[in-house]
Amino acid sequence: MPAPVVGQTPSLTTFLKSLKHSPIETSIELLISLLRRRQISHSRPCALATAHLLLRVVAAERLKPTTDSTVAALRLIERIRDVGRRLVAAQPREMAVGNIVRRVLGVVREVVEEQGDGGEESSGGGSEPMSPLAPAVPQDLRPRPRTPGDATPPNFDGPSDIAVNSRRPALASSTSYAGQGPQSTSLLSFLEHPLGRSPTATPSTPGTPSRKSTQDKQEKLDIKAEVIDGIKELLDELEVVDTQIAESALEHIHSGETILTHGSSQTVQKFLTTAARKRKFTVVHAEGWPNDHEATHATIVNGGGGTGIEDEKWKPLTSMGVTVILIPDTAIFALMSRINKVLISPHIVLANGSLLAAAGTSTIALAAQAHSVPVVVLAGVYKLSPVYPFDTQELIEYGDPSKVVGFEEGEFVEGVDVGNPVLDFVETETVGLFVTNLGGCARGYLYRVVADHYRGEDVDLSAAAAPNGKTVA
Amino acid sequence: MSKRNAVAGGNGGPRTPPFDVVAAYRRLLSEDEDLTMPVAAIEALILALANTPASTVSETLDLVSKLTAQLKRGIPNSISLSAGTDLFQQYLISNLQRPSARGDFDQMRTHLVQNGKLFVERAKAARETIAGFGRHFIRDGNVVLTNGGSRVVGSLLRSAAESSNNRGTIRFKVIYVMSPNNSAEEDESRQNVAALRERDIPVATIPSTAVAYCMDQVTQCFVGAEGVVENGGIVSRMGTYQMGMLAKAAGKPFYVVSESHKFVRLYPLNQQDLGIEQNVVDFRTSVGSVKGESRSVKDEGMEETKGYKSPDFATQDAVDYTPPHLISGIITESGVLLPSAVSEELIKIWF
Amino acid sequence: MSAPLPAQEQAKAEEQKLSPAELKKRAKAEKQARRAAQKGGQEQDGDVGASATAPNGVNGDSNTTKHDSGATQQQHAQKPKGEKQQKGQQQQKHGRQGAQEVESHHKRTGSQSQPLPIRRRPSQSGAPPVVQKPAPKKINKQVELFSHLYTQPRRQSIEGVSKDIHPAVLALGFQMSSYEICGSSARCVAMLLAFKEAIQAYTTPAGTSLARHLTSHYLSPQIDFLKSCRPISESMGNAIRWLKKLIVEIDPDTSEQDAKDDLCERIDTFIRERITVTDQAIATSACQQIKDGSVVLTYAKSSIVERTILEAHTNGTKFRVIVVDSRPLFEGKSLATSLMHAGLEVEYLPYSAISHAVKQATLVLLGAHSMLSNGRLQSRVGTASVAMQAAKSDIPVIVCCESVKFSGKVALDSIVLNEVAPAEELLLPSQSASAKPAKEDTSEDAEAKPKSLSDWKDIANLQILNLMYDVTPAEYIRMVICEYGSLPPSSVPVVHRLANEGM
Repeated sequence: MPAPVVGQTPSLTTFLKSLKHSPIETSIELLISLLRRRQISHSRPCALATAHLLLRVVAAERLKPTTDSTVAALRLIERIRDVGRRLVAAQPREMAVGNIVRRVLGVVREVVEEQGDGGEESSGGGSEPMSPLAPAVPQDLRPRPRTPGDATPPNFDGPSDIAVNSRRPALASSTSYAGQGPQSTSLLSFLEHPLGRSPTATPSTPGTPSRKSTQDKQEKLDIKAEVIDGIKELLDELEVVDTQIAESALEHIHSGETILTHGSSQTVQKFLTTAARKRKFTVVHAEGWPNDHEATHATIVNGGGGTGIEDEKWKPLTSMGVTVILIPDTAIFALMSRINKVLISPHIVLANGSLLAAAGTSTIALAAQAHSVPVVVLAGVYKLSPVYPFDTQELIEYGDPSKVVGFEEGEFVEGVDVGNPVLDFVETETVGLFVTNLGGCARGYLYRVVADHYRGEDVDLSAAAAPNGKTVA
Repeated sequence: MSKRNAVAGGNGGPRTPPFDVVAAYRRLLSEDEDLTMPVAAIEALILALANTPASTVSETLDLVSKLTAQLKRGIPNSISLSAGTDLFQQYLISNLQRPSARGDFDQMRTHLVQNGKLFVERAKAARETIAGFGRHFIRDGNVVLTNGGSRVVGSLLRSAAESSNNRGTIRFKVIYVMSPNNSAEEDESRQNVAALRERDIPVATIPSTAVAYCMDQVTQCFVGAEGVVENGGIVSRMGTYQMGMLAKAAGKPFYVVSESHKFVRLYPLNQQDLGIEQNVVDFRTSVGSVKGESRSVKDEGMEETKGYKSPDFATQDAVDYTPPHLISGIITESGVLLPSAVSEELIKIWF
Repeated sequence: MSAPLPAQEQAKAEEQKLSPAELKKRAKAEKQARRAAQKGGQEQDGDVGASATAPNGVNGDSNTTKHDSGATQQQHAQKPKGEKQQKGQQQQKHGRQGAQEVESHHKRTGSQSQPLPIRRRPSQSGAPPVVQKPAPKKINKQVELFSHLYTQPRRQSIEGVSKDIHPAVLALGFQMSSYEICGSSARCVAMLLAFKEAIQAYTTPAGTSLARHLTSHYLSPQIDFLKSCRPISESMGNAIRWLKKLIVEIDPDTSEQDAKDDLCERIDTFIRERITVTDQAIATSACQQIKDGSVVLTYAKSSIVERTILEAHTNGTKFRVIVVDSRPLFEGKSLATSLMHAGLEVEYLPYSAISHAVKQATLVLLGAHSMLSNGRLQSRVGTASVAMQAAKSDIPVIVCCESVKFSGKVALDSIVLNEVAPAEELLLPSQSASAKPAKEDTSEDAEAKPKSLSDWKDIANLQILNLMYDVTPAEYIRMVICEYGSLPPSSVPVVHRLANEGM
């Protein structure tokens, strides 16, 4: 354990402080141990810590001036994947860590592609943007030999790019969410020429043309700078994500409605607070015993915020004229018939729209379904994971049983098997709507949001990258 | 034959004898039992293209669309093959109608004609890729319900049986729904069952009437598809729909396993909207079938192709349509798609 | 000395069986009753003696029939518990004297009850201040949707109690409001036993007959008193209706003592036939549903379910039990404890883990507060969710319920028929004491000193809702086992007519 944290309770704040003046390898080890000991937990702190760490990792990476841009990118990708693998292995259930690693990998790939756009024909130009990076696809699952995107006709590569351009450059256009899909899934690729060279193909990334012209000469420096910029953008996104989600609050909460929520989620609190500035409504708040009830009580009584590093604090809902009714979780079914909407903030949204959320959420979602009450899931894009829930049991985390029965009751704890699962798996069928920082989206369209943010080849972080850089033709 | 001759004659002076695309399609299917219908259709079209030299872009497109129509008329259930012909047509259209593509025409034609084998290989590779996903889906102690002789489901299960996780090989059981008659499809089913049993996977075979009975033991269902339609539903062998409904009612995951070249531009609204005629519901009196006011969707093409039609088509090769809300996911070679993603894939190739 | 002979004998018979903890409890109840009697000021020594025997009968019986979950709970309640309880009672008296004292007393008792979370409700001492709050604030704290259920705050003191209330009933009232006697059938049995004593203590005034006077002028105040301590359960209502009918039908020619003896005998029969023997029959029938390898899921605590599980265990069936429990009553803990002592493999899960519990379970056994005529189940709040999760996973949900709990009422949701318990029960015992200083460290804002939930009465717009029951839809229930056999929920009204109205 490095010196900076001695004498302080290790947390996200202490980690970020120590990050500034610790050697990079020490920082990685520190984050791994913090994750392992759950001293950094929950999606947002994990995401922030990972993004900050990767920023340092990229900044510390020394790229020789002579290195060609694609080689440099490959090295960066190798490095990020390697760090990412270790972080994910330290705490596989904090899936936000993996999400951020994948997003950063996407940033690197995107930077390379943008440069390729302006680049020479020899590297395949924009028509073959992914080829140098394709070895990231694990051997055993590599898609059938072909060059994706090549001769893709003047179709516009699907609606995805258009939709995404407004916010951030397109990442992937793969609609698949399990396994390691091809970079472009146009069905027509089936008939494509194996070595097709139609240079006229639409570049898969309608990038920013203004930048690339100046970059040709100084690629090796720019790659790093661009990637760092990209990670900073990602950090900005993490900072404002709750505020952005809350922007749609008025579309979902109306005067006189009764809203049910659960636990002490800051995202939900911010959402409700934003609505409370304009509207009067009632909140039924389930307390989330045994893991979250104390935090819930504190949130209800004292308001939210103040948990993160530079988060603002805000007043409790009650002081804004919103009636808050605190109930134990047991009363959820009893009250559901009078609820207009259920707000849930999960830990992770999985690729098929199912959720990993605080224990008890599955009961809430089912009860809402039984009463035809819409369930609105509030989740920043950083919570969307491209991982398909093959085994839901594997994803569940078990907490401290002493929260259920204290250790002072020795005989009971000895004789009875006390369990305390922290997470619930919530089926996607129970969810009515997802509200992300990009706006609302139905569960049927979630695959697209996921595909827009992650590269197919990055989905499986554990797969080792292949050493050489040529696609199999 | 005279009519087909006329069709071929319509496209700018045939110097070679007319090409029987339907026969070619059937021959291809029978020669390679691993060939799927869409791929066979593409192969047949390529053969036809090779046999019928067309000089211009529009002539080629015209020829392909005529051959496609011919093929669709010639085969009673053309849903699956139309996935292949549509794909082929769209590929040509999107590549040939580009203004800059003029010079590429010959190159493209050569590419298509020369690479027929490649496409078949790709199709098989896709199946292998899908099969590789099996181990992600099937865990120790699972009970898998499946039906029909889908080759891709068969290879998925075989691959799961052969692969291993960190605790050794995956131990799972299979309930296989068999139909009582002895159609060709049943042979496929029997082969699949035998192959699994050979790999030490216990398999129970049940009639389709017992699906509801055993649903509570099942962990998840895998079915194949003849075609994946635009809304994410599937057209598959008769009985799949009811299996999907039962799985949904019991809350069990219901996965479709299908190569993405089976995505077909068809949007059925209900079971009668499949665009093919199936005499499944055949009302009869002592006089015979009361089919006077039949709402036949086939028109004049029917008469001449009757010879191809197997007499008890209705019972043996009938299909039904499973709507997307019953489907948990579609396992393709590019990963698991939600049914809602199919529409986007098809939109992408048509526009 | 009007204590009835049978009750005394019964008490003697139980004497040997009582554990020290139970004796403690008995002594406490006695003291409570005695204090109540003294406060009433009217009762003389003889009555105190009578009240001393009363809890014996109550406790003894509930112990044998295992209706009283308090009996098991009592075993792991620590020694100081009784003392604190008394302290609370005393403080309560002080509380009535001055407003400032009320505040401080409220806080103190909050922290005092900290180490005893099991069914020990802070409400016992915490509620009187609610009553004394100024009217507008009090209304503010009631959840509007349930305003029909906030009829009157639970009686916590004997202030203003009519002198006619029999000491046995008095003691029972407080035991009920403190959940010492809890559970629909346990309360019913305890009430009938108390009534037995009350009836024996009754003398018909001159100029009227027992049949005409007993119910309206003597029994009704007793019932009203019990209601003021805690709303009565469906089984109690059914028993009261039965008793009233019985009294009306008494032959005017019978002598008073004969009539009273007859009534007491009939009450004993009722308890035996409708509850004691019935419970046995239901347990015997329900334990057939538990097979080797079963995983039985149950929620909170039902005496019949406990009995069923124990019987299956005694029969040698090899199975496992999952007990799901919830705040604030933690009833499941006493069930888990008793099953653990019986040598069963028990898993204890918090309410949030229902979905996980259901994944393992093969059978759900539930007790009932009441079975409603539309086939719905009224039971401890939270039951509906457990049944829903089980039904969704296609696990059979079986309700064990005596026909005495069947009701003629119907309800679609949990709002019409319910009981609102004091909100103070949901406050965390530690919150006022330990949580506060810790929070002050984290807050930089000087102006907003963090409050804790125990200040909830001072926070405008904050309400705490503590429901007692919820209603489980009939479609989640696979089977109802009662003494008439196994029924689908739709047949509940049939049995209700047969059992509760046909007599």
